Amino acid sequence: MNSPQQLAEVLTSLRIGNQSYLIAFYEQNRDLFARWARRQHQLVPAVAHELLRTVLVDFYDQVADGRLTKLPPDVRAYVYGLADEQLRSASTTEILPKDEAGRRQQLLRLFRQLGLDCQKMLMYFYFRGYNFEKVAGKMGFANANVARMQKATCLRKLYELRMRSEAGTR
Amino acid sequence: MTPPAFDLRPYLEELERFADGQMTTAEQTAFEVRLEQDAALYQAYQAYEQLTADLRWVAGHETLHQRLLALDRRLDQRQEALTRIRRRQRKTQQQWGVVAIVVAAALLALWLIMRPTAPTLEAAWARYYVPEVGLPDDVVNESRRPLLAEAMRQYRDGHYVQALHNLRRVPSSNLGQDTSLYYSGIMLLSQEEPEQIRAAQPFLRRVAMQSASPLAGRARYHLGMAYWRNQQITAARNTLRAVANDPRNPYQDEARQLLRANVLPQE
Repeated sequence: MNSPQQLAEVLTSLRIGNQSYLIAFYEQNRDLFARWARRQHQLVPAVAHELLRTVLVDFYDQVADGRLTKLPPDVRAYVYGLADEQLRSASTTEILPKDEAGRRQQLLRLFRQLGLDCQKMLMYFYFRGYNFEKVAGKMGFANANVARMQKATCLRKLYELRMRSEAGTR
Repeated sequence: MTPPAFDLRPYLEELERFADGQMTTAEQTAFEVRLEQDAALYQAYQAYEQLTADLRWVAGHETLHQRLLALDRRLDQRQEALTRIRRRQRKTQQQWGVVAIVVAAALLALWLIMRPTAPTLEAAWARYYVPEVGLPDDVVNESRRPLLAEAMRQYRDGHYVQALHNLRRVPSSNLGQDTSLYYSGIMLLSQEEPEQIRAAQPFLRRVAMQSASPLAGRARYHLGMAYWRNQQITAARNTLRAVANDPRNPYQDEARQLLRANVLPQE
């Protein structure tokens, strides 16, 4: 997947939430990246794998946020560069406005405090775009109405966590 | 960090129903009218939109994060399984290697034990040489030729040196020259020492050349065998062929058998 047209399609599909390119990239490059990270930065494989995952999620965020509007011609070199920057804590990529970045990172932390069912439910609805029937089927609920009520409960929980968090920092 | 403008909770259910398309047409129209007229509701709507936009980002981020984690676990498991399989294959190969080495060693040992060995000269000699039986007692006539009788007894008992000594003491008037030469050669040959075997050859040769002597044929056989014993192969083969071709020679069959057995090395 290296022709300019294919790379453009990758960017489009990533923007609409199709993450399969990055999943395949991880599967194909994990061991290669671990060897590179061991040689260049003396990282053990488990740490190298975690670094690659972090970098790929970061890459995805850049595409989703609209910070990356053109896919680099050599994605592998770009990802290795991101990993290098991550290790040197020297980001050269465009960063989000501070308010927006802080708000999203805070929401991400709070999201991880939710129960696994709530996380899954909100991911199905807000990221995958499943309707309530499909969410009910995936989660094992009796019908779409139950799914709707569960989603409302989870969103309320997340919102209340944010309210509490902000009250604590004020 | 921007604090929320106000508490969304009183509006949350209604905003969700609107955003998720759960309202009837009439409800939606009424809600849209209120949204234009009610500033607080509009503010709540804006805050809700920002929350769900952020939540979409979080959900995408977290989905990828969790998918990568799950894939990582799967790849680790596959790696472990492959390593386990490779280790097992290596172990099996090593076991088969040991089995192959043991089998090869056993086959080698078996071959060393069972291999057809070339008959040694000693074994071939013992098998094919027909020794002279000596003069019979009635021919010796002990009362007339006691030394010859003694020599023949010692010869039969295997005391060849003493037998030869006594044979040489027999007066020549008492014993024919060919007989004396023949048994001298036989007793030297019987000692089975290279030097004595070489010494036996002139005695036997002289008798073999006396065509008139009844001992000539027998002497030729023993001469041929003396050549063989001394590894004079050409002379041995020629002499034994002459014996094998002579129908009157008492050792004709033995000579033929020896030549057929191919125990004489090729020239």
